[in-house]
Amino acid sequence: MPGDALSYLTDPGADIPVRMTEEKREILLAYYGLDKPILEQYINYMVGITRGDLGWSIYYSAPVLEVILGRLKWTLLLVGTSTAIHVTLGILIGAASAWAHGRTKDVCLLVSILSISSFPSFFLGILMVIFFGIKLDIFPIGGAQTAFATYQSPFGEIFDILHHLILPAATLVISHIGGTYLLMRNSMLGVLGEDYIMTARAKGLSERYILHRHALTNALLPIVTMTAMTIGFMIMGTIFVETVFAYPGIGNLLYNAVLYHDYPLLQGIFLFMTIAIVGANFLADMIYVRLDPRVDHE
Amino acid sequence: MTEGRKILGSIGLGILTIFVIVAVLAPHIAPYDPHQMYRPMEHPSSRHLLGTNDIGNDILSEIIYGTRVSLFIAFIVSAISMLVGTSLGLIAGYFDKLGFLIMRVVDIFLTIPRLPLIIIIAASMRPSIWNLIAIFLIFGWTMTARIIRSEVLTLRTRYYIDATKMIGGGDFYILWRHILPNVIPLVVVQFIMEAIHVILAESGLSFLGLGDPVARSWGMVLHYAFECPIIYVSDVWMWWMLPPGLCIVFTVLGLTFVGYALEETLDPRLKNPAYGREL
Repeated sequence: MPGDALSYLTDPGADIPVRMTEEKREILLAYYGLDKPILEQYINYMVGITRGDLGWSIYYSAPVLEVILGRLKWTLLLVGTSTAIHVTLGILIGAASAWAHGRTKDVCLLVSILSISSFPSFFLGILMVIFFGIKLDIFPIGGAQTAFATYQSPFGEIFDILHHLILPAATLVISHIGGTYLLMRNSMLGVLGEDYIMTARAKGLSERYILHRHALTNALLPIVTMTAMTIGFMIMGTIFVETVFAYPGIGNLLYNAVLYHDYPLLQGIFLFMTIAIVGANFLADMIYVRLDPRVDHE
Repeated sequence: MTEGRKILGSIGLGILTIFVIVAVLAPHIAPYDPHQMYRPMEHPSSRHLLGTNDIGNDILSEIIYGTRVSLFIAFIVSAISMLVGTSLGLIAGYFDKLGFLIMRVVDIFLTIPRLPLIIIIAASMRPSIWNLIAIFLIFGWTMTARIIRSEVLTLRTRYYIDATKMIGGGDFYILWRHILPNVIPLVVVQFIMEAIHVILAESGLSFLGLGDPVARSWGMVLHYAFECPIIYVSDVWMWWMLPPGLCIVFTVLGLTFVGYALEETLDPRLKNPAYGREL
């Protein structure tokens, strides 16, 4: 990305361009340590990271770590809640759909899920705001908490946070459920064709028992991998939902960091992203071994 | 289910045909020039079927011309991505040393988080259709190259390939005559997947304000509507936000249906669930 935080401020195309003399500019660059050679800056940054110092956000004028941690809790809440819901719903509906394979129920479920997942998340979010936030006026239209609110009890605060969470979480659930549903349906169809399902039927086990004990558990394996792989991307994907709902999360922060050319902040966000993706994949591998003991012996 | 797939496929194809016709014939269908200014914020009337926006452009004409922009970007990106991805995938699957190199490059591209990087590049370049196309092309070919490669890896061990080699068929003859025709079905499905991805990603970027402000796509129309605070306190959203949004939804839906129908026609294993599905 060409330009630095200062050239963003002094850009004549900006809304309010700041005039700056050459000396002033050099003083500021020296203040942030941006005048040193790239290699020295890099070494300083890496040494800083080992001490938990991710640098200084130029736009927010605060330590990067502090800025990110302040936003991270909201994104984790949003992504965590919606992942839990969309995975559970996706598994249940996908399994029901595969179980009724070829019948009207399956076709109806398939068409309706494919249809709702065709909505881009920001468009869905806007519709949610208009219907539930303005027309019906039952949910707040933005933010993560009521501004300047004082709460009588901790329950009041929790209720307020949940109240703000419902619309953005619902938007994320709807826009992500399609992937889980399709994967579960396909995986289940594959399992239903396996020989051990036929054996179970031949033994005279009840359909219910076969569905729960034989089919569902085995069909779940790919879902674990997929959930872990998408969770990292979901954190970034919240950028649209967070923009629509003015939700103070990481996606929103990233967009601002790009806009204001705040490099230290961008680096910090990417570092956290990487940790989140690697961590999620590691967790998936651990769970996978527990779910499918065959993997362990390889 | 095969019947169901056929019906869904036909519906999808029908939707897509309508949008393509609108895009091609845009200058003849649109009632006004999308850049012509009239009285701003007019409600729908017989003169302006979907009213006018904040700077007085006819919204219906804007959306009709937007169809051109959105579909053009999706088509160009998917077509070039498929061309590059398929060629590299064929080479990577057939020649081991080159394949190793190509796959390491693909690995690098696949580990980079796509969305944030696209946003960063888009924010630092001057917004235009061509820049958007270039940005999507950087990532578009990688997944296809990987999928085609793994298919080639199994195809090249078949007996008929050995037989062709024995009667003296050269490498490029084998790739062109015997392997390429077998991967075409996969390429078609990948093309549709990429088109869906580009339509959604382009509308998303434009919605954030990173699209071409002159050649406005559907996402860009939504961006300007979203920027306008009046959208929340009146019924303006009904003719300013709903139509372009639904255009995106129906295009994606049409592509999804066609992709779903083709998946089975092109991969006969799916007709019989007893074979299971490789995931």
